[in-house]
Amino acid sequence: MNFWLMLPELVVIATAFAAGGADLLVADRSRRALAAIALGGIAAAFTAALAAPLGGALFGGRFIVDGAARWFKLLFLLAGFLTVVLSKDLLEGRARVRVRGIGFPGEYYTLLLFTLAGMMCLISATDIVTLYVSLELATLPLFVLAAWRRDDARSGEAGLKYVIVGALASAFILYGLGILYGLAGSTALAAIGRAVAPSPAFWLAAALVLAGVGFKLTIVPFHMWAADVYEGAPTPVTAYLSVASKATGLAFLFQLFFRMLLPHLEAWTPLLAILAATTMTLGNVVAIVQSNIKRFMAFSAISQAGYLIMGFMAPGTDGVAAMIFYLLVYIVTNLAVFACIIWYSNETGRERIEEYRGLARTNPLMALAMMVALFSLAGIPPLSGFVGKFFLFSIASAAGCHWLVAVAAVNTTISLYYYLRIVRQMYIEPAEEDAAPLPSGRALAAVIGALAVAVVLLGIVPWFYAQAHAHAALWTAAALR
Amino acid sequence: MLEFLAAHKPGHVEWLLLSATLFAIGLYGVLTRRNAVGILISVELMLNSAALNFVVFNRFVAPAACDGQITAIFVIAVAAAEVVVGMAIFVALFRHRGTIDVNRMNTMKD
Repeated sequence: MNFWLMLPELVVIATAFAAGGADLLVADRSRRALAAIALGGIAAAFTAALAAPLGGALFGGRFIVDGAARWFKLLFLLAGFLTVVLSKDLLEGRARVRVRGIGFPGEYYTLLLFTLAGMMCLISATDIVTLYVSLELATLPLFVLAAWRRDDARSGEAGLKYVIVGALASAFILYGLGILYGLAGSTALAAIGRAVAPSPAFWLAAALVLAGVGFKLTIVPFHMWAADVYEGAPTPVTAYLSVASKATGLAFLFQLFFRMLLPHLEAWTPLLAILAATTMTLGNVVAIVQSNIKRFMAFSAISQAGYLIMGFMAPGTDGVAAMIFYLLVYIVTNLAVFACIIWYSNETGRERIEEYRGLARTNPLMALAMMVALFSLAGIPPLSGFVGKFFLFSIASAAGCHWLVAVAAVNTTISLYYYLRIVRQMYIEPAEEDAAPLPSGRALAAVIGALAVAVVLLGIVPWFYAQAHAHAALWTAAALR
Repeated sequence: MLEFLAAHKPGHVEWLLLSATLFAIGLYGVLTRRNAVGILISVELMLNSAALNFVVFNRFVAPAACDGQITAIFVIAVAAAEVVVGMAIFVALFRHRGTIDVNRMNTMKD
C-alpha cells in the first residue's frame, strides 16, 4: 500500500500531538513556539497534499485521493492555517483588551489540528464507517473550542447548544446511513449508490441524512443554533466555524451526492433548489436587523450556505468546480472580514455594528480591507465574490431553475444593503471625538493585507477557476471509470 | 406469555421496530427534557438505536461480512467521546451559571 497518499493527514495528526506534547514541556514565556509548530505542520501538510500523487486508493478503496479530494484538503488546510494566525494574539494574551479565561494555546492548536485531520479524512472516505468517524473527529473538538472561555457564560452556553445540536445531527445522519446500509448490504458508498433504488425507505434515509447535514451546513430550517453559537464562541473560533464547519458539511454533502447518489442526482434538484432559496432568503432578511457583528456574520454565513449548495444542482457534475471555487472565495473573503473583526475586538473589545463608526478616519487601511471583503461577500464585480456567484448561478440556470437565479439575484441586492450598513458606519458616520488610530500586530496586519489582495486577485485572475475545473474534470473521469 | 416468546423468534421487522421505537423515544426526550444531561441521555438513546440498526441489518441482510457490527463498535466509541465532551461543557457551565436548564440558556437574544 502506498502510504504517501495519506501523508497530509499523518502530518496534521503528528503536528497535533507535537503541539500538545510541546505544551507540557515549554515554559510559559516560550508558548509562542506552539503557534509556530502548528503553522509549520499545516504548511508541511499543504505541501504534502500538493505533492501527493493524484488518483490513488488505500485500505481496499476505503480511502481515496482524487482531484476533488485534493482541492477540499487544500482549502481545509488554508482555513486552518489562517485561523491559527488569527487566534495567536488572543491566546498568547497579546490582545489590548484583557479577555479572561482564554489561553491554553497548546490544547487549542491540538484540537484545531484534530478537526483538520477529521475534515481531510472525511473528503477521502468512501465507506460509511470512515465517513462517520471522520465526521465526528471533525466536529467533536469544535464543541470544545466553542466553549473555550471557561469563565464566560456565553461561551459555555454556545458550547452547550452546539454539543446538543451536533450530537442530534450525528444521530440523524447515523440512522439514515444505517438504513442505507440495510438497503444495500454494503458500507461502501459506491456500492450503496449502485444497489439502492428509489423507495420509501430510501427517501426516509436520504431525508434523515440530509437533515443531519443541514444542521452542520446551517441550511434552513436547521440553522437555529448558528447565531447563538457564533456569538458566544471566542471570535477566532467563530471565524473557523464559519468557514471550516461549513466546508465540512459541504464535503459531507459532496460524498453523499457525488460518491454515493450520483445515479439519482436529478431527483434531488428541485428539493435542493427550494432549500437554497429559503436558506439564502432567510439568512439575508434576518441579517438586516442584527446589531452584534458576530451574529450578523452568522446570518450572512447562513445565506452563503444557500449559495454554496446550488453547486449540487447540475444535471451532471459541472457544479463541483463552481462549488469548490466559491468555497475558496468564501474562505478567503469571510476570513478577511473576521480578521478585521478579531483585530478590532482585540484592540477595543467592541462587537456591535454601531461601534465601528469612524473606523475609516482612524484606521483607513483596515477599513478599506474590510470594505473590499464585505463587497466581495455581497458579490460586486470585479471582486472574487462576483465571479464565484456568477459560476454558481450559471449552474442553477443550466439545471433549469431560472426562478432560483432570480431569487438569488434579489438576495444579492438585499445582502448588499446590509453589508453597506457596516461600510456606512466605517466611512460616513463621524468618529468619536477622542478616537486615536489603533495599533495592529504584524502577523494580523499581514494576514489582513494578503487576504484583501487575494479577494481582488481571485476575481481578476481566472487561473484558480481553471485549476478547480481541471481537478473536478479529473475527478469526474475517475468517478465514471 | 413465556410459551409464546419461546415459540417466536424475533425477525428483522421486530428488531427494526425496536430500533425505530428507541429512536422515537430519544427524539421525544430531546424535545421535551429541560435538563441538558437528560437531553444528552436522549441523544445517546438515538445513537444506540442507530447502532442497533447496523447490527440488525448485518445479521439479516449481509451476514457474510461483519461491516455492520464494526460500525456499531465505532458508534459506541464515538458516542462515549461525545458524552465526555458534552458533560465537560455542562460541568464548566454549571460552575459558572449554577444551572444547566436549557430553558434558561437565553442570554444571547438580540
